[in-house]
Amino acid sequence: MAGPSDRVDEAAVRAAEAADAASPSGREHVEPYEAAALAAHSPVAASPNSWRQFKAILRKDVSMELRTREMITSMGLYALLTMVVYAVALNAAGEGFDILPIAGGLLWAAFTFMSLLGLNRSLVHEQDQGCLEALLLSPVDRPIIFFAKASGNFIFVSSVELLALPFFYFFFLQGKGFGLNPLLIIPVLVVGTVGIAGVGTLLATISVNTRGKDFLLAVLFIPLMFPLLASVVSATSAVIMGGDGSMTQLWQGLALAAGYDGIMLVAAFGLYEFVIGA
Amino acid sequence: MRLVWIRAAIVGAVVLTTVAFLLAFFVAAPAPFGEVRIPAAQVSGAQLGPNQPVGVEGDNMVFLRWDMGQKIFYFHVPVAEASFLVFLFAAVYGGLFLAKRDRKWDTRSRIAMEVTLFFVLLTMVTGVIWTKWAWGVWWQWEPRLTTYFIMTLLVVAYFVLRNSVEDEERRATYAAVFAIVAFIDAPISFLITRVLPSTHPVVFKSGGLDGWQLATFIIAQLGMLLFGFAVYELRLHEERLGERLEVLKNSLGG
Repeated sequence: MAGPSDRVDEAAVRAAEAADAASPSGREHVEPYEAAALAAHSPVAASPNSWRQFKAILRKDVSMELRTREMITSMGLYALLTMVVYAVALNAAGEGFDILPIAGGLLWAAFTFMSLLGLNRSLVHEQDQGCLEALLLSPVDRPIIFFAKASGNFIFVSSVELLALPFFYFFFLQGKGFGLNPLLIIPVLVVGTVGIAGVGTLLATISVNTRGKDFLLAVLFIPLMFPLLASVVSATSAVIMGGDGSMTQLWQGLALAAGYDGIMLVAAFGLYEFVIGA
Repeated sequence: MRLVWIRAAIVGAVVLTTVAFLLAFFVAAPAPFGEVRIPAAQVSGAQLGPNQPVGVEGDNMVFLRWDMGQKIFYFHVPVAEASFLVFLFAAVYGGLFLAKRDRKWDTRSRIAMEVTLFFVLLTMVTGVIWTKWAWGVWWQWEPRLTTYFIMTLLVVAYFVLRNSVEDEERRATYAAVFAIVAFIDAPISFLITRVLPSTHPVVFKSGGLDGWQLATFIIAQLGMLLFGFAVYELRLHEERLGERLEVLKNSLGG
């Protein structure tokens, strides 16, 4: 029997289709939590289709970020400011100081700190606007939320990393040759950022609900990140310095980081359900 | 566990570790490191005593130098291994809490982490003493030291996390999740630093142990494990008494 529910369904279908078809600028009128709820409830995806849910949540995060550009600018500026501090610190070392051996480490230190900032913010937004409750109320599988948020974080952090790399080169590596092909740094970035995003999303979901917030995220994140950091710094140093055995060192670092990513992502995926329901 | 058995465990642990201590210093053969040459003319019969020369080179008599600092190995390794074992228990109890949602598993997980912290601090202290003796510096970013320091940070982070959450069930859930993730991370850290190229050589005299050395080590290990078990049970007993006290206080309306 036709009634209000049918009309709501039709409206939902139209809204979902509009959301699907519209360009980013045209979706101004769809609130972030509505997009998630619509994708889950609309008859177009009557049985909860994991891929649609994932896309909806990811699209919500990315569109919000594109609209405000808040996280990327703050993370980018933070990375830049860290490099300014490096410049001050290294100034004392004098002109002849060879920065190549420590350049990989400096780079990943900047990326680690900026990731802490970004990860924290990505979940603070959820809490502020009540989006997390809305997500939990809709019939979305908890692991989908994890993958969608982790993918969003991966996109943001890697974008800022790619933007920050030229600045790092400009500030510190000019005139010094790269050891290996500089493009080899891309796989290292990818593997490192996957680990940062995966474990970081789990820990940020924990820390955003506590008194400590960003401080607690740092306390939890940095010791857990240590194996990943050690491997990617080793791999990045191999790319920057080159020399004998650097390809082996690069592959070894990549393999170890990938192994860490695999193990920790499985663990985070399995445990996320408990964390987000708490 | 009944208090009498806990007391027996503590006494057993004290006895074992004391026996291990005495064995380490009086019975187990010390590990030599290097040789020293003394001109034969300076060596009188009275000086020889227990340290017999192993050879003669020209005018010199060759003696072995004994590494007394190696003795700390009999305590440092047992506490380190005990800390890992108790960490495993803490992670398992955390997993059991997540599965069964019974508060007793969270209590057990927390107590096990406290015992882990205790052993971790012991390991760090004995390790730092050994580092100073063996290498002359208080600290070295050597693989094992680095990863053990990371483990210390993880255990401390567990308690920082617990203190930051007010809601009891949420605190227990977050703590359990972190205990599991941290326990997965700890061995990875160990393996990673072993494999990655480092600038410092790993200098550890871990050759085979002969008869009495092995016996001392095993006794020390058993003593430390028993000690950990006794402390855990004692704390659990204390928690139970605390809970009974709370129930009594509530029933009395106070």
